[in-house]
Amino acid sequence: MSGIKASAADRRDARFGYVLAAPSLTVLFLIILFPVLSALYTSLHEYTLIAPNFDIFTGFDNFRLALADAEFRHSAWLTIRFVIGVVLLEFVIGFGIALMLNKVERFKPIYYAILLCPLLMNPVIVGLIWRMFLHPNLGIVNYLLSTVGLGPVNWLGDTKIAIWTVIMVDIWHQVSFMIVLLLAGLASLPKEPYEAARVDGANAFQCFIHITLPMMRTVIIVTLLIRLIFAVKTYDLIYIMTRGGPGVATDLVSYFIYRTAFVGLNIGEASAMSIILLTAILGLTAYLYRYMRSIR
Amino acid sequence: MAGIELRNISKVYGNAVLAVDDVSLEIKDGEFMIFLGPSGCGKSTTLRMIGGLESISKGDLLIGGKRMNDVDPADRDIAIVFQNYALYPHMTVAGNLGFGLKLRGFDRAEIDRRIRAISDMLGIQPLLDRKPGQLSGGQRQRVALGRALVREPKAFLLDEPLSNLDAKLRAAMRTELIKLHHKVGTTIVHVTHDQIEAMTMGQRICIMKDGRIVQVGAPLEVYRNPVNTFVAGFLASPPMNLVAGRLEGEGQGTLKAVVGAASLPIPDAFRAAYAARSGSEVIVGLRPEDFHQSPMGDRSSPASVVVVAVELLGPEVILVAELGGTGGPEIMARMPRDFMARPGAMLQLHYDLTQMHLFDAASGTALSRPQLA
Repeated sequence: MSGIKASAADRRDARFGYVLAAPSLTVLFLIILFPVLSALYTSLHEYTLIAPNFDIFTGFDNFRLALADAEFRHSAWLTIRFVIGVVLLEFVIGFGIALMLNKVERFKPIYYAILLCPLLMNPVIVGLIWRMFLHPNLGIVNYLLSTVGLGPVNWLGDTKIAIWTVIMVDIWHQVSFMIVLLLAGLASLPKEPYEAARVDGANAFQCFIHITLPMMRTVIIVTLLIRLIFAVKTYDLIYIMTRGGPGVATDLVSYFIYRTAFVGLNIGEASAMSIILLTAILGLTAYLYRYMRSIR
Repeated sequence: MAGIELRNISKVYGNAVLAVDDVSLEIKDGEFMIFLGPSGCGKSTTLRMIGGLESISKGDLLIGGKRMNDVDPADRDIAIVFQNYALYPHMTVAGNLGFGLKLRGFDRAEIDRRIRAISDMLGIQPLLDRKPGQLSGGQRQRVALGRALVREPKAFLLDEPLSNLDAKLRAAMRTELIKLHHKVGTTIVHVTHDQIEAMTMGQRICIMKDGRIVQVGAPLEVYRNPVNTFVAGFLASPPMNLVAGRLEGEGQGTLKAVVGAASLPIPDAFRAAYAARSGSEVIVGLRPEDFHQSPMGDRSSPASVVVVAVELLGPEVILVAELGGTGGPEIMARMPRDFMARPGAMLQLHYDLTQMHLFDAASGTALSRPQLA
């Protein structure tokens, strides 16, 4: 292409393309880029809600404060553990179910429909339903446990159990996402290597280890990364089910930022935390993007 | 090494579809056997049943004299080369070659020794560290063959292994497979729909149609004495001309096959066999290569044709013409490369009568006659 100049017609086409894209680009800038830039601006200032125009530039003070905040560090560390737990458990359960469903021949659409139900629900609804199910005295879960002689469990009120309850509900809600992606991956695998492996003498387990896993590598990594990015942002479930409690036992970072900004009214520091979270998610996304390009 | 025997084998899919219907065949130890037939004739299914990738609905399969119906593919000691090679995409060439040996618990040194020997033999030594995605079609084909060879199995099952290659490479690989069979001497069952592969490679051809065996025999035997119009029309390219006709007259010199305006006398050698069918409708089979420009003594009969088209192939010319005059049945004749004719021209050709085939008009079965050597 070098050395060849675009013709007048090409340049006209390119200009027309920009004109066509301009309205939607403008809207995107206004509703996405502007708030991000505004948060970045706020994070570098001492910001007061009652006098928004008198903010003082404080450099990286807000970031320093945020990183020094034991509660922020606690919720960041809790989020990391939550994300790893949720993603790993969902992956193991999801892969298991996907492998089973891949062998199913009859009623496949029905299984799909059942599996997709939780995914179609709003997280707020999921939280509300499970809060009712898990109510210590009136919930159906404890009632069922009592019928087999197991004592009532304080699902959301016990500091040791609450985080696992949230993880369990998140798995219930999101595992079908894993199943659907992994199942699509499994369905697209070629059949012939399996036949070759059977002739070569591989049993089902060896086929899984030597054929399925390596051939699914890309799908697995992409699925894990997507799910990871979404899990870091978990907010609605916490807001509906525990509000970060009991104490700070389920205080995931998104919810903690919300509290800092709109309960503690510490807008500058909350903005700084948002920027830190955004950087982490952007890093993951960039890695996902680069990985997906590298496998082409 | 071992022979393979199929006894009344059938394959039924889902209670209804009969893919293979009562096939019995004995493949001798060390034989190069071809399964030939159009798509959907059951040849691949039969091969996959021998390999153990498909269950056998009815009948017995014996490999080396032992019944193998319920034996796992891994324990049949056979190797399969698949149409699209079925290489393990994530393993290197060496990994692909060694996988089966590794699973069978061979030690590292022995695996390396065999991989080296096979890759030398197939000329894929420089490719050992590459992955299948980085190989050309012909190279993948060699790796797939190598993966089969490295196990030193009792028999090779090849499922249309050459059909994904371009014409030139296919011809080269044909020769290599023949050489390979000479070298290792193992039983080979080769499935193909390509009649050139069948004619050139096999010691015997098994022609299948609609799940049944139509004819089994050495390539030339099948070519010379097709049992019905299906085999006659399937082998060779261009295939035998099959035209509707009538057997007329009787006695010496008067029994003849009448096709449109042309009439072809029946040679004395066949007269006794055909005389009883005089007066009945037949299908006359005339091979394109048995039309000649000049008479061949009393073996041939003149036949006038009207030229429809002339196809120049280089080494030869295919003449498309109407037999017996305008409006007669269209036939193809193989002419020497310097042959020239204008469409519409009337020509006199000579047909080698000893090569004429007659088939029953209703069933398409060859009318019995003394076999041609």
